[in-house]
Parts: sequence; C-alpha cells; structure tokens
Amino acid sequence: MSLALLVPLFLLGLAGVVVPIVLHLTRRQRRNVVHFPSLMFLERIPYQEQRRRRIHYWLLLSLRAAALALVAVAFARPFFERDTSGVGAASGPQEVVVLIDQSYSMEIADQFDRALDEARRIFNELGPLDRASLVMFGQGARVVTRSTADRSQLTRALDTVQISSSATRFGPALKVSQTILEESELPSGEVFLLTDFQRNAWTGDEGIQLPAGSKVTAVQLGDETSDNIQVADVALAREAVSGRERVTATARLTRRGGEQAKEVMVSLEIDGQELQSRPVTIPPNGSATVAFQPFTLSQPHTRGAVRVPSDDLSADNAHYFVVSPGTALSMLVVEGGAAARDASLYLQRALAISERRPFDVNFRRSSVVRAQDLVGTDGVIINDANIDGASAERLRRFVDAGGGLLLVLGQASGWPNSAADMLPGTIGQVQDRLQSRGGRLGFLEYGHPVFEPFAGPRSGDFTGARFFRARDFTPADSATVLARFDDGSVALAELRYGRGTVLVWTSTLDNFWNDLALQPVYLPFVHRISEYVGGRTEALPWFTVGQVVNLADPEALQTAGLVSAEAAGLVDGLDQVALTPSGKSVRLPAGDGPRYLLLEERGFYMVRPPGSDPDRPFVIAVNVELEESNLARIDVEELVAQVGTATVGPEDGPDFAQATEMRMVDQERRQSLWRWVLLAAFSLFVSETLLSNWVSRKAGVPGVATS
Amino acid sequence: MMARARAQASARGGTQFLDPAVLARISNLELLSRTVVDGFLTGLHRSPYLGFSTDFAEHRQYMPGDDVRLIDWKLFARSDRHYIKLFEAETNTNFMVLLDVSASMSYGSHEVTKLDYARYLAACLTFFSHRQRDRVGLVTFDQEIVKYVPPSMKRMDTILHVLDQAEAGRAGSLKEPAMQMAELLGRKGIVVVISDFYEDPDTVLAAIAPLRGRGHDVIAFHVMDPAELGFPFDQPSGFEDLETGEQIPVIPNRLKDDYIRLVKNHLAELERRFTDNRIDYTLLDTSKPLDLALFQYLLAREHSSRKR
Repeated sequence: MSLALLVPLFLLGLAGVVVPIVLHLTRRQRRNVVHFPSLMFLERIPYQEQRRRRIHYWLLLSLRAAALALVAVAFARPFFERDTSGVGAASGPQEVVVLIDQSYSMEIADQFDRALDEARRIFNELGPLDRASLVMFGQGARVVTRSTADRSQLTRALDTVQISSSATRFGPALKVSQTILEESELPSGEVFLLTDFQRNAWTGDEGIQLPAGSKVTAVQLGDETSDNIQVADVALAREAVSGRERVTATARLTRRGGEQAKEVMVSLEIDGQELQSRPVTIPPNGSATVAFQPFTLSQPHTRGAVRVPSDDLSADNAHYFVVSPGTALSMLVVEGGAAARDASLYLQRALAISERRPFDVNFRRSSVVRAQDLVGTDGVIINDANIDGASAERLRRFVDAGGGLLLVLGQASGWPNSAADMLPGTIGQVQDRLQSRGGRLGFLEYGHPVFEPFAGPRSGDFTGARFFRARDFTPADSATVLARFDDGSVALAELRYGRGTVLVWTSTLDNFWNDLALQPVYLPFVHRISEYVGGRTEALPWFTVGQVVNLADPEALQTAGLVSAEAAGLVDGLDQVALTPSGKSVRLPAGDGPRYLLLEERGFYMVRPPGSDPDRPFVIAVNVELEESNLARIDVEELVAQVGTATVGPEDGPDFAQATEMRMVDQERRQSLWRWVLLAAFSLFVSETLLSNWVSRKAGVPGVATS
Repeated sequence: MMARARAQASARGGTQFLDPAVLARISNLELLSRTVVDGFLTGLHRSPYLGFSTDFAEHRQYMPGDDVRLIDWKLFARSDRHYIKLFEAETNTNFMVLLDVSASMSYGSHEVTKLDYARYLAACLTFFSHRQRDRVGLVTFDQEIVKYVPPSMKRMDTILHVLDQAEAGRAGSLKEPAMQMAELLGRKGIVVVISDFYEDPDTVLAAIAPLRGRGHDVIAFHVMDPAELGFPFDQPSGFEDLETGEQIPVIPNRLKDDYIRLVKNHLAELERRFTDNRIDYTLLDTSKPLDLALFQYLLAREHSSRKR
C-alpha cells in the first residue's frame, strides 16, 4: 500500500509555506506601530538590519507552515493505493462476478464441488473495497447474489446452490455479468468463469461486450477424459393388435470415451416397474441399439423409462417417456348424391388402413350436411359435392368452433356464395391438361404440418403424380397456398377460420383427374391431411429440460399427451399442482392467463388438482439435453479472447488510462483522506491562534507615541 | 548674550507667554496671531512703523487746512486749480513665509503637532509683519509648491485662510520648492522658512542658498517635536516613517543614545551651515510657548540688525 495523490498539481500550494517564513522575517508588529516623522536617523543605526531578519517564534512559524502544507496536501487528494495480492491485485477495487456452471455435466469428477471451493477462495480474497456477485448458470443465468461486499453473504449463497439438469450456455451468463459490470460504479471488473468449458456452450455469436477495464478469468475444472454411456433416444413403435395397442420401445445408446467395448444391461421400466432388461455391448465412442419386447398399452399417461447403469455422468443414463393409448379420429366424408359409387373408393380405403390410431369414417351421399352429422366429428371431407347454403352455414359454425374442413374439388363441386368468405379463395372452372400430358406438383410447403413428414429425403415423392384436370382457384389474400402445380396454379390452399381451418384441394382424390391415388405417397398424404383436418396433434412422449408448457392451453396439453382432462382430474377454473421429479410442489393457480410450468428437472412432472390423487394423473416426461453429454472442450484462451481482451484497450490506450483514472478516483473517494488532513490543518490553525494570542499577551502592548 | 538674557527676563516680567496647547484651542488664526503679537508688542514697547510710502495714489482738491506742501503745482499751472497729491503708505519690505506641509510635519507627541505649531508661527509672523506695513505672502510646500499667495498688503485674510486649510500630505523635499520661489520672488525681502528639515544639511543648504544668493534675508525656523529631540520611547516597536510608510522594528533602549547623538549632530550641522551662509536659524520646540520663540527670534534679529 503506497500513498498516492489524485491531484498532485495542488502540491504547488506547498510554496505557500514560504509566506509565513517571509512574514516572520519581515514581520511588523502592527499592534505596536509608532508613527515617526522620519526614520532618517534610525536607519543610520546598523542594529535593526540584523534584527529584522531574525525569526523569533519558531513554534508559531512551524504551526503556520505545517497548517498551510496540510491544506495543500488535502487539496491534492491523497489516498493509499492498494497493492495487495488478492483478487484484482493490480487494479484496485473491482466488481467481481463469479459465474458457476451448474449444468449436469458438472457432476463428473466432483467438478461442481471444486467450483464451489474455487468460488469460496475468490470471495475470501476479495479486497475491502471489492464487490462481488454470484451467478449460477446453465442454459440460462440466475443472479444469486448481486454486487455485494458482504463475504459472508456470498459464502452462504454458495451453500444453497446445486447442480441442475440443464445444459451449458455461456452467452446468458456472460450477458448477465456484462450487465452487472455496466451497472457497477467500480472502475474495473473481473469475471470468473468456473465451468468445464464445453464446446457446445459457446457459438461465438453471443455478442458479449464487457465494459472497458474488465477481463475474464477462466477457471477450468476437470478434463475430457471420461467414459459415459447415454440413452440417446427411444423410439416408440405402436401397432394395433386385437383391438389393443402394443408399443415396441427401441433404445439407442451412445458411448463417449472408453478404451474397450463394454457390456451394459439396459432395462425398460413401465410405470416404475422394470419390465425387461437387455444386455448390450457398446464399443468405445460407439453406439448400440436395443429393441425391447412389445408391451401392451392400456392405460393413459403410462410412464416409461429406459435405463443404463450409472457411470461418470448419471443424468443421461435414463430416458423418460410418457405414452397413452391412441384414440380414433372421427371423420365425415360427404359425397354428392349423384356421385358414382366408387367416387370415394380410394379415400375410403386409405382411411381404413391404419396400424396406429384408426380413423372412424362416416360416409354421407348427400349434398346436405345435417347438424347431427357434425356432432362428435373431428373433421369433414367434402368430396366433389355441391353444398347448399344451409349446409355451408352449419359447416361455418362447425369450423368456427374448431373443426376442420377439407374441400376436394371435382366436376360436381359447388359452394354457395353466401359462405364464400370461409374458403381460402374463389373456385373457378375446370382446367383440362390432357394436351400437355398432365401437370405435376411443382411446389410444396414442406414447413406445413401436412407436408412436414415428406420433407426429408426418400420420405415421399409427389412429383410422380400427374394431374390432368383441376379447378381454377384464385386464392384470397388471407389464404396460404400450400401446394402449386408446375404451371403455378393452386393445388392446395388453406384458410384459418375461427378456431378451425379450411383446406381446398383443387383436384380429386380418386384416379380420374389425376393418378395420385396410384402413387405410394397417396396413403400417407391422405392420412396426414385427414389428421390435420381432424385436428389430431402428435403428442410428445417427452420434453427437454428448459422447455415450458402452458397448462392453460388445450393444444399445449394435447401436445404434452393429455388424453382426458376429466380422467386426469383436471378441471378448468381450479388450481393445479405440479410435483417435480425431486418432489417439490409448484402451485399453478387458476386464472385467465397462462399457467406456465417450467421444466427444470429430468424425470416425471405430475400435474393434478391440489389434494387429489387420481389413478392416472397427467404426467410429463422430461429428459436432459443430450448435447451436454458431449464433453468436448473449447479453447479457453479463444473464449477469453473473444469476450475479454476485445473490450479492454492497451495499456497506453485511452480506455486503459480512463479506467486507471476512474480507479484512482474511486479509491480516493472511498478513503476520503483529505477530510482528515483538512481537519488536522484546522486543528493546527486553532493551535496557532491560541499560541499567537498567548505570545501577544506575554509580550504586552508597548507604550507607543503615535500621531 | 547678556543683553539677550536681559531682554528675555524683561519680557517674561511684562507678559505671560502663551502655552501652545492653549493656542491650539483658538480656532481662528487671526485671533490667535493678534493675541500673540499684541501681547508681544505690549511687552516689547517698540513701534513697528518705520516710515511712509512715496507711491502716488490720487489727487484731491485742496481744502483749507491741508498741507500746502502737498499742492501739485504742475497741475495748478495747467488747470488753475489747487489739488493736493495723496500717497499710499509704503511698506518696508516683502515678507514671505515658506511653510513645510510635508507628512512629517503632522507628527506630534502632545496636543500640538509640528504643523500646528508652524502654522501658528507663520500666522503670527505674517500678522506681525502686516502690522508693520510689510507686504506679506505665503507658500506651502512639500516636494513641490502646494499653495502660493503672492506678497501683498491686502491678502492677510487669504494667508490666514490658506494657513487654516493647510494639511500635511506627501513626502517633503525642500530643493524644488525653494528653487521655484527663488524664481518667483524678484524683489528682495524677508523669507522665512518653517520646516523640520529632515534632509541632509548639504541638501537643505543647497536648496535655501539660492534665496540667500538673490539677496533675500532668509530666516529658518526648525520646528521639532520634543519626542524627536529626546526619543522618549522605551518599548520595542515598529517605527513607521510618516512620509515613506517604511517600517522597521526598533528597540528604543538600544538606539536612543545613538539617535540623540545623530539628531544633535544634525542640528549642530544645520546651525553651523546656516550661520555660515548668514541665515538666521532658530530651533523651535513645539512644547515651548510660541511667543517666547517669537520673542527670542526678534531679539536675535534686532541684535543682528544692530551688528549689521
């Protein structure tokens, strides 16, 4: 610790010490002044020349000179510059941000415990003027303690943190630290990044820009050498056997690390009971697949898990899923009364073929759609029929309430103008393409759920189908064209109407206007578009840690696999409780707004009304993000360079000088030594006054003769 | 010296010398000077009238009883009427007072400052001379001429007014004002210099000698305060020069003897140099009665005039 001056220029004021010295040498006793006509004779006497230059009151002079010197020093703003060897030794008071990785990969080789120890060491080495924050991060970042100088508070906070099930992302954590440093008044900052530095956690595009005078110190924990087997994926193949649904679970295992092939026992658990186990041998850095015997799926919200024995990283040793028996989709196919008998033959046969959840299809050969026909119907397919106005209005209400309508156009198709607004466009004349040997589908919107399964290679080829006839269709502005023929005309268009949807297929679904029905893609296409019209949503057997489910959204619940709210005991307008895998209870109060459930833990989340215990509660399976199991490291220096050194200027640059100046100002401001120095000067002035008066009284007032 | 002592004794027996402190209470200078001079004349019993003037003033018709010697016969020849010639009474000489009003003259260790004393003295002398039909004038000076009243029989009031208003101000120097006066005063007369002569004797003489050289009868009154002569101070003090403002610390006990010695030497040297130049020199102590000083002076003047 050394004494420094913030404004050394004020030391020029020390020259003022000369003033009392000169005054003492040339002082005039103004209280004893004698006015005399002329000093002509007195000046001829040599004695007073010596006397004038003598200092008589050394103590007074010392007090006056010292007081003036102290005033000058006080204005120079002295302070003690820290030169300790603790945190930020050479840079004065610092804003320290400790980022601790709490992703599940930190459990390897007690890395998390070592991170906590390192954090304690950092907190213990904080200077008296330093402030520190504790931030725990995984995919997101959470400030546990923000910018405090209380070491005990920081240390206590470390006792409360634990490993999470999330993956690692450096971006949010560094963003938080950037915010803390920007809000800090301290001149410099240091970010301690305590993590295993997985490559997946950093893309380099995070755009972190720490303030000038800040730096990042990487504390590397652990290494890449580990032998980890994870359940990478579980495929659930369903088939209907004797009216019951059977599920075949196939697990894919991957192994990272290891030197020799390893045989492990893989088990399948259903509803908490081990159903089967299979041995499998996995080569080093290889993978293996395990197919279990099919099991019968009879109960909704059936919990399943595929496990491998625990290893260095246990979080990915289990893969959880939830499956429920499928339900049939009720479809209404309307044909025109004058239609041929086999007008819907291909459509009927296609809907009848299903290995999973069958379609419950009702055929009606009439242009009139009755209200009772729509009761319990999920979707309606109008197959080349001329719909009257009353039926169209019923269909409008059906769609508006959330139903789906597929309008297949043919020679006899018709739609009343009174309900034209619910169609995605205007139906035109028949376009014959026999002269050009038929057209083909030239554009498909593969991002749409109807065509999404055909987006991948060898997932279905629509280009083989020839379309000889189609109806002209002029899409409305609000419509979405999902497919076009090669001449640009519309093949499939959609309009969201109310809570439902209306699709128009401008050609037939038989083999008269086109040969699509003869193509292999016909069956999945019909299934897919029927499921879409019927509103069937594929339930996700599991979620990933970090995802959020809105329990107030029916579609979200359906996606989450909720079969029946009533069966699960969930009633609209009542509170719900979510039990986390670790047993904690999360209240989800009823209300008009969304009820978000953040999935932070791996395992099964159970949702039920508070105080109830339904037989088959609504369960959500949550698995860890598997890329976290990839322990490949990023170059630490590269990471630090991208974050820290890019924001700190060179030592001879303006940023460094500014940071240094700010640090000095801060040190001086915190110490405020000038106040004590000024107080000492004031005390000396008081002492000088008292002493001066005493000296004057002692000397007495001489008798003078004045004019 | 015996005659001077006798005259002094006689005067003391016939008049009461006036304390300068009492004079200081008389605000009217004319009254003051009349008081001093009348008392002085009463005791001295000498007529100040020495003759008549021959300067023509005007003609007046002859009246029976007029001195026939005064009839202007030349005018009778031209006009056939009798007129007599009237003459102004002629003064004896020009009487000029040079009064030092430098800052050092403002010093006074008692009720009367040196300037007050000098002012009384100047008033008395001019009043006295005016009573003798002299043309009186006044010059006040410090380092240059401050006020100048030319010699005249009719300006006594002006002189008294200038004396009344005189104030000490700047530093003084005799040389320049004296040279200017030598140029201004063409007619020979009496020149009285009243000052504290805080200059080197050579400088003083160099300034006054030209006046003497032009034939003026120069009289020097050296006005000193008793504190300047005796240096009665005993406490260490800062002594400040009234003219320059310079200040020096002084321990009087250690300097007193040297100071008195220097002052005595200075006075002796001045007296010697004045005498050598036939200039009357009189040292006046402001604590002494003013008429006594005047008496001593006139005695000395009479004595010297007899010798001349």
